[in-house]
Amino acid sequence: MTDTAAQICKLLEPFNSNGTALSAKTDISADLNIDSVTVMDFVMEVEDHFDIEIPLNVLSETRTVEDLAKVVDSRVKKG
Amino acid sequence: MQSALKRSGRADVVSTATPTSNRSLAQNSAGFGSLAEGLDYAARGVTGFNFYSARGALETVLPYSELRRRAMATARRLLSLGLARGDRVAVVAETGPDFMAVFFGCQYAGLIPCPLPYTMYIGGKDSYIERVAGMLAAARVQIVIAGEDLTSHIMDAAARAGVNRVMSHAELQALPEAAAKLEPFGPSDDAYIQYSSGSTSNPKGVLISQSAIMANARAILREGLRTGPDDRAFSWLPLYHDMGLVGFCLSPALGQVSVDFLSTSAFARRPALWLKLMSDNKSTVTYSPSFGYDLAARRINGDAVTLDLSRLRVAGIGGDMVRPDVLEGFAATLAVAGFRQEAFLPSYGMAETTLAIAFVDPAKPIRIDAVDRLVLKSEGRAVPATGGNARRFVACGRPLSDSKVEIRSADGAVLGERSVGRIFVRTPSLMNGYFQNEDATAAVVGADGFLDTGDMGYWLDGEIVITGRAKDLILHNGRNIWPQDIEWAAEQLDALRAGDVAAFAVENELGEDEVVVLVQCRLQDMAAAEALRNEVSAVVHRSAGVECRVVMVPPKSLPFTSSGKLSRAAARQKFLSGDIAEITAATLAVTQDGPEASL
Repeated sequence: MTDTAAQICKLLEPFNSNGTALSAKTDISADLNIDSVTVMDFVMEVEDHFDIEIPLNVLSETRTVEDLAKVVDSRVKKG
Repeated sequence: MQSALKRSGRADVVSTATPTSNRSLAQNSAGFGSLAEGLDYAARGVTGFNFYSARGALETVLPYSELRRRAMATARRLLSLGLARGDRVAVVAETGPDFMAVFFGCQYAGLIPCPLPYTMYIGGKDSYIERVAGMLAAARVQIVIAGEDLTSHIMDAAARAGVNRVMSHAELQALPEAAAKLEPFGPSDDAYIQYSSGSTSNPKGVLISQSAIMANARAILREGLRTGPDDRAFSWLPLYHDMGLVGFCLSPALGQVSVDFLSTSAFARRPALWLKLMSDNKSTVTYSPSFGYDLAARRINGDAVTLDLSRLRVAGIGGDMVRPDVLEGFAATLAVAGFRQEAFLPSYGMAETTLAIAFVDPAKPIRIDAVDRLVLKSEGRAVPATGGNARRFVACGRPLSDSKVEIRSADGAVLGERSVGRIFVRTPSLMNGYFQNEDATAAVVGADGFLDTGDMGYWLDGEIVITGRAKDLILHNGRNIWPQDIEWAAEQLDALRAGDVAAFAVENELGEDEVVVLVQCRLQDMAAAEALRNEVSAVVHRSAGVECRVVMVPPKSLPFTSSGKLSRAAARQKFLSGDIAEITAATLAVTQDGPEASL
């Protein structure tokens, strides 16, 4: 797992109410049973942590921790 | 934990928002014939719209005068495309000046704008495209306009709907302005299409006329909110919903009220920012479904004491069942900021009546009616009660003075005080109909001109109390979710077939709707059943953006009507009574022995 993915897993842990084992392949909305409002709360944590903004259209194509890590890496570089 | 109110130190901040009051222009509360005439008038003053960034910085100031200028230029650009009067222009309703320019531009050009949603869910691309494609087809649109970042999603949707013109705002604004004289929509014309009812596969466009929006805006401003020249509104509501569009964009423009906007996604990320910006702006009027008050109160933490919400005169509630416990929690948390409980303003409405049907008197505190839960369910009567058997409802106010509401029994008799029935309304704010869909319109609007709202409720001293939905519709965080959408998505899984899934809402102890999905399971072992449960939960989440409780039930246990349609009401009843229950290792074995076994 990349360093970014590991950091995302750490940010995700407080939202992981059913104790699913988190990995790069974890499907953030589907595997964790978190609702759409709570997902946005997590997205905010990610944005604040990496100091980036993730547009909604990009979010709509993001499913797994791995996907999100790629989005974060590309945005941090652009920064 | 970082402060919920953290702000960015960026420099892209514009100087000052539009003033709250017009000094040299008398307030006119929607005494106009059309939206264009209303904006013409507002443009003579200094008030207008202001847009805040996701981190709370003022990004764009759009006085009504500037909005009118941009709208007229946009109208001429749209006309340069050769569009005919009455053609439909779909536009993604992002909270910002681009959407406003197109919406009002259509008014000046004689085109019908159709505000589209934007994608909000993580991993939600496919369901978004499908939803938008259905909407484009329902309104037979000629052109779709979206922000640069969404055009690829929108192009996919347009291709499915057979719409071949998609443009970004930048491309539209780069067009030459047609020299033609503008002929704005007048009092007897159509105004816009609002998408409302209907599942993803079969959405309906509510066609609203200029006279309907004028009648409703007039009632909202004069009877509902009772706005004066010192009012200032705040909204994070999506502009593709009636409450956001009519309540906090069109009505304020028609009443020359300044509005401060935070985008819906920014609110979802930082709910407390709503309260902070209202404090900064000395807001007097805002609106939200109950869940918004709940979120904001839970996120404000210790910062409540730093806020001043003493000017907030109207904290309106609409879009979901008004929850007394949530309002009490919000009022208790924000009392330290000067929030007054009397500010809460419950109301009732829907897109088919433009927006508002009933308002509580803004000068009065909310009225909670506690009734006997059992008598309500078994006899359909709302009998006052106390203690453990009581269910609390919030009265949603009196019908607007130009409207007539009837609560009718199943056989059509008009009911009186405290009898639960179906709510019907006749109003000058009624839609013209679902766009080019006479069957669907005839199904809800009777020959007597009354709309069947699909809601159940009772009268309490002249006020309407809503008790629930007559239809199968699931209400979740202010959103309507069609059970068909959930069922269809789950039935796409390999292990399932059409008719294997039933979705409905049950009320949990908190009075919230919990989505239950019953799945007929033909699998032979518990591990496989567990895997299927997770798959169903995942696919429902992706397609409908809602968490649900998946219950695996034996094959052939779901009830069907004589015409072969799934009966959700009967499935729900059987689930609640325990007649349909989760499979166990024991029931699996029975199922294996005899495939025809059922409970």
